Amino acid sequence: MASLNQCLASLARLSLSTPARPILTPTIPKFLIPSATAPLVRHASGGGGMRKRPVKKKKTYKTYKTWDLSEIEQFSLCDALRYLRAFEVGRPPAVVKYELAVKLRTQKGGPVIRNRIRLPFPVKTDTRIGVICPEDSPLMIEAQQLGAVAVGQESLFESIRAGQLPFNKLICHVDSVEALRKANLGKILGPKGLMPSPKTKTITSDLKATVQELIGADEYRERDGVVRMAVGQLGFTPQMLSDNIKSFMNLLKQDISNSDDNHPKALDEVVLSSTNGPGFSLNGSFHPTDPKLKPEDLQSVM
Amino acid sequence: MRPGDLGPARSRQAKVVGPLVLARPRQAKNFRGSITESEPCSHHVAVRSQRPALPTVCSLSASVRKNIKMVGVLRRFNQLKALVRIRTGPGAAVLPQDVTRIHMEFAHKLNDGHMGPRKFWREALPRLKYWNPAVPMVVNRTTDNSGPATLTLYFREPGATLASDMPMPSSSNEGFAKAPAPAEGERVVTIDMKHRRSEAILKEFMDKSGAVAVTPTPQDEVELREAEEREAKGAVDRERIRRMNEEAKREKAMIAQAQSEAAAIRSSL
Repeated sequence: MASLNQCLASLARLSLSTPARPILTPTIPKFLIPSATAPLVRHASGGGGMRKRPVKKKKTYKTYKTWDLSEIEQFSLCDALRYLRAFEVGRPPAVVKYELAVKLRTQKGGPVIRNRIRLPFPVKTDTRIGVICPEDSPLMIEAQQLGAVAVGQESLFESIRAGQLPFNKLICHVDSVEALRKANLGKILGPKGLMPSPKTKTITSDLKATVQELIGADEYRERDGVVRMAVGQLGFTPQMLSDNIKSFMNLLKQDISNSDDNHPKALDEVVLSSTNGPGFSLNGSFHPTDPKLKPEDLQSVM
Repeated sequence: MRPGDLGPARSRQAKVVGPLVLARPRQAKNFRGSITESEPCSHHVAVRSQRPALPTVCSLSASVRKNIKMVGVLRRFNQLKALVRIRTGPGAAVLPQDVTRIHMEFAHKLNDGHMGPRKFWREALPRLKYWNPAVPMVVNRTTDNSGPATLTLYFREPGATLASDMPMPSSSNEGFAKAPAPAEGERVVTIDMKHRRSEAILKEFMDKSGAVAVTPTPQDEVELREAEEREAKGAVDRERIRRMNEEAKREKAMIAQAQSEAAAIRSSL
């Protein structure tokens, strides 16, 4: 700090000699006034200015904050859809998605909910699967027959290292786990969420079952106490969306009840929003409150 | 404020989250956790001013979003309060029974007279859609600015019954959703929107369609006033924060400059 002060003093001298430098106007910021950074006059008594204030400790919470929702207006599905469809009018219906955010009452640390679901009406339909299995084995032929876009072991690792990832889901047969570990692909696959692992059930001994589970399946996980998931396209009818939401919520409730006793979780709020729309807290009912509005009215071409 | 505008904060900063103040602090009273105390200034309880069909804070898709906390309950509360803007205002009108569908076609960019149509789509069409949810409203946006900007109204001929599944394309960003030819028992009225303001288009639309404007209820008027107050306070806050940020940035730049000069002097010694 002292050296900085010396430098500042020498700077001040410099500024006197070179008029090209900007002249310090009376609006010098506080930090440049020498007395602001370090008092020039020190008192021997020491009882005066430098008394340290006790640093206020910020309160930390072990759980995520939840709010009293009694003041919040909650909507039936059809009411929310009426608004959302108004917000999304004139948008291409395949591009715009409905998404659900489920807030949980949960602790900040500990295990998170993570699972996969096959919705009754899939939202994303472009699943391209890559399979890691021993080369020239019957498994390879099986994987190709199941519709995998990239199959192999060392050849696949090479193409991944070269940056060619023609798949958006990657599974690994148990026979190739050792090779995968040696290939050191975590740096490439990890950030993309493609690294096969038993946690995501992408290391398997039954390729057929896993591939069939992956096609049309969506993954969801809890982040910051919220589970988010795309549950529909704009073109879906209210009934389709309702089916998707119901099956998702049923599975999520199972996940919640399966959470271990040391880290209890509970459902707090369900919010439906769309790509361009605001979030509507759902009250769990389906039918519109406006008697003139019928659910069929909410399925016209967008 | 022009009548076509949705709010005073309409500007090019479409994605900026505009600050907003609680119109009535007592609204926050019942929330556990005392939001009003814990938030040092009102810009933390921000909400973007209500603009239909523009990206909101919750616009990212679930697959893209990572580690974003739930949008705060107060922010959402204010957004829902501002829904009154979609229930009232220019375009809030009930179409007569014989309007079967609406089609709009215009270009993405505003050159060559395509600004008004876009404004109409952004401002009036969401309100029309809210009040007439069953009427298909399809927008075809093209990249051809020299092309037409037309609004097509389809009417049912008196006494005619129409098939429930008339071929109607979905809205398109690439110009694929051309206006379909009228079905049997349908007639068509077109409005040329090129080089016209959205208010003028709306006026002609109301005349030609026979739509009846919705009168806001007293409750709506109260909510509108509150939304306006929130926005006015938000504008003040936004300005204050902008100045604060600018000042901080300036001081930081000056420190950096002084330190780099000091280092230069030190190395030259």
